[in-house]
Amino acid sequence: MIRSLQDVSRLAKEKGPKKLAVLSPEDEEFMLAVKRSWEVGYIEPVLIGDREKMDRLADKVGFDISRFEKIEENDRQTVSDLGIGMLFSGKLSIVSKGQIPTSYIYRSVIRSEAKAGSGMTVSVMSLWEIPGVDHLVAFTDSGVNIKPDFKAKVEIIKNAVFLCHLLGYKRPKIGVLSSQRKFGGMMTSYRDYQLIRKVAETGGLGECEVAEGVSFSDIFLGARGRMKSHEEIDLNKTPHVILVPCLDTGNILCKLDLFLDVKRCSLTVTSKGAVCIPARSDMSDSIEGQIAMGVVVADRMEKGVN
Amino acid sequence: MACTFKEIVKEANEGGAKKRLAVPSLKKHHLDILCRAAKEGFVTPLLIGSGKAIKAMVGKSPLASLEHEIVEATNATETAVTLTREGRADILMQGGADQKTFMNAVLDAKTGLLKGKLASYASVLQLQKPGKLVLVTDTFLNNFPGIVEKQLIIENALGLAGFLGIDKPKIAALAAIEQVNPSIPSTLDAALLSKMSERKQFGKAVIEGPLDMDCALSQAAAARKGLQSVVTGNADIYLVPEIETGYQLVQALVFFGRIETAGIILGTVKPVIPDLPFLSDEDRFVELALAAMVSNKGVSHG
Repeated sequence: MIRSLQDVSRLAKEKGPKKLAVLSPEDEEFMLAVKRSWEVGYIEPVLIGDREKMDRLADKVGFDISRFEKIEENDRQTVSDLGIGMLFSGKLSIVSKGQIPTSYIYRSVIRSEAKAGSGMTVSVMSLWEIPGVDHLVAFTDSGVNIKPDFKAKVEIIKNAVFLCHLLGYKRPKIGVLSSQRKFGGMMTSYRDYQLIRKVAETGGLGECEVAEGVSFSDIFLGARGRMKSHEEIDLNKTPHVILVPCLDTGNILCKLDLFLDVKRCSLTVTSKGAVCIPARSDMSDSIEGQIAMGVVVADRMEKGVN
Repeated sequence: MACTFKEIVKEANEGGAKKRLAVPSLKKHHLDILCRAAKEGFVTPLLIGSGKAIKAMVGKSPLASLEHEIVEATNATETAVTLTREGRADILMQGGADQKTFMNAVLDAKTGLLKGKLASYASVLQLQKPGKLVLVTDTFLNNFPGIVEKQLIIENALGLAGFLGIDKPKIAALAAIEQVNPSIPSTLDAALLSKMSERKQFGKAVIEGPLDMDCALSQAAAARKGLQSVVTGNADIYLVPEIETGYQLVQALVFFGRIETAGIILGTVKPVIPDLPFLSDEDRFVELALAAMVSNKGVSHG
């Protein structure tokens, strides 16, 4: 079972190098992350983007990219389509976002899933490593679905459960967030929570359980709980998956890693492999960690670990 | 300028006359905090409900020897709101009242405590690095505010920021992404508010938006996304897009970051303190001090 990003890094070294397409590594931090990921044996990169920029940046970070496959392309949607196309045709098993807005990638993945007839809903999982917690915690959907309805939420959970199983969490706990309070009417997100619990009870979400309660207070203190001091907080109660009600919530919460003592790595698991989704503001260390996660997930998908 | 919770307590203490604090339906777990606040000297509790039950509870506690009043009432919540509206109490806390009944009574357009068009809730967080207080709003009251409501939420928060001594507040209007995307309504609202601030429609306050959380929290992250602003990495107020984000954001900070937080309802004739489960006893004490400070500084707050 993978308990930390250190486990991920160790496994990525064992299972790598794997072929990975980098979409527009046109920024020093991304190029540096690709360089390090190559050096430690995670990946063999295929670089797609503006040739001149890539050459200049590789030079700047002291990375000899002459030995790698490079595809010259300046149009961002085409860059994304090319990389995701290689993933879906089986030419490689991982794609990583570079300095390119994520929307291009989601568009490519959604089109490719539709073409492949997989029926898979595209969603992003942002995994947190929290000190003292014995498992990684996935916030989802932190990237694609702006306001998912009940049906979309079920699919988002299924994607997260699939990832959890790949990570070795046999029966992950799912926290379904809603801002339902004792006043202000019934929130749609609360109704969704109630329905999701019913679906889970009948096994419709696969091997997992849905936590009772819809807020962090419910999760950590219980429904009628009341905190006397912060010493009472037991973070090991954090569910493996936290389903957020909407994109705003997901993205805003998952990026608290810039403020809290947690590390984040984000990815999308497609029907054909992993797509690493580092933020355009992430630094090279963080991007390298996210590439390592992509390698491990791709490896386990290839081997059918589930 | 108050940069810590300690300074809020100090300001509450230095604010002059003790504030009369309406507490409906006292519960045992309130006693320690009320004792502490009464001992500090910034509030006099008005304990509202069944006199017999209150006396039995208070009699066994140190509050018995401190200044307090008992107000006999069959409907404690209604009486507490009435006393506050009529100026016989300076601060209202939820106490042991049922939250739905309490909030409905506070927000009732005719008999409640609304001062203007909209009440909102602001969480005040004490950050260690940098050592400052920041506001996050609305984290409790308004479900899905539109642009009109967001203006009022900001105005309410600016009132509180002023009481805390924040001279030119920098406001991060949060959204999922830092680009304006017509499919994501929060980005449109944030962009509009940002434009309004550019035109000085919020006085000296500067609003930047839309900002995703990485850009709001870190100047370096914002710079990597090509965004330059005085707000990035240095916001005093975080405006959340809706309640789904606000309610969970403040709790995430409390549970995962152990951040000290207090909060208050703004836009009411007197400060109102709802009972939120994720506040520690220490934070609840600070919350009383915050309300006393607001009561001291603002004849009408919010």
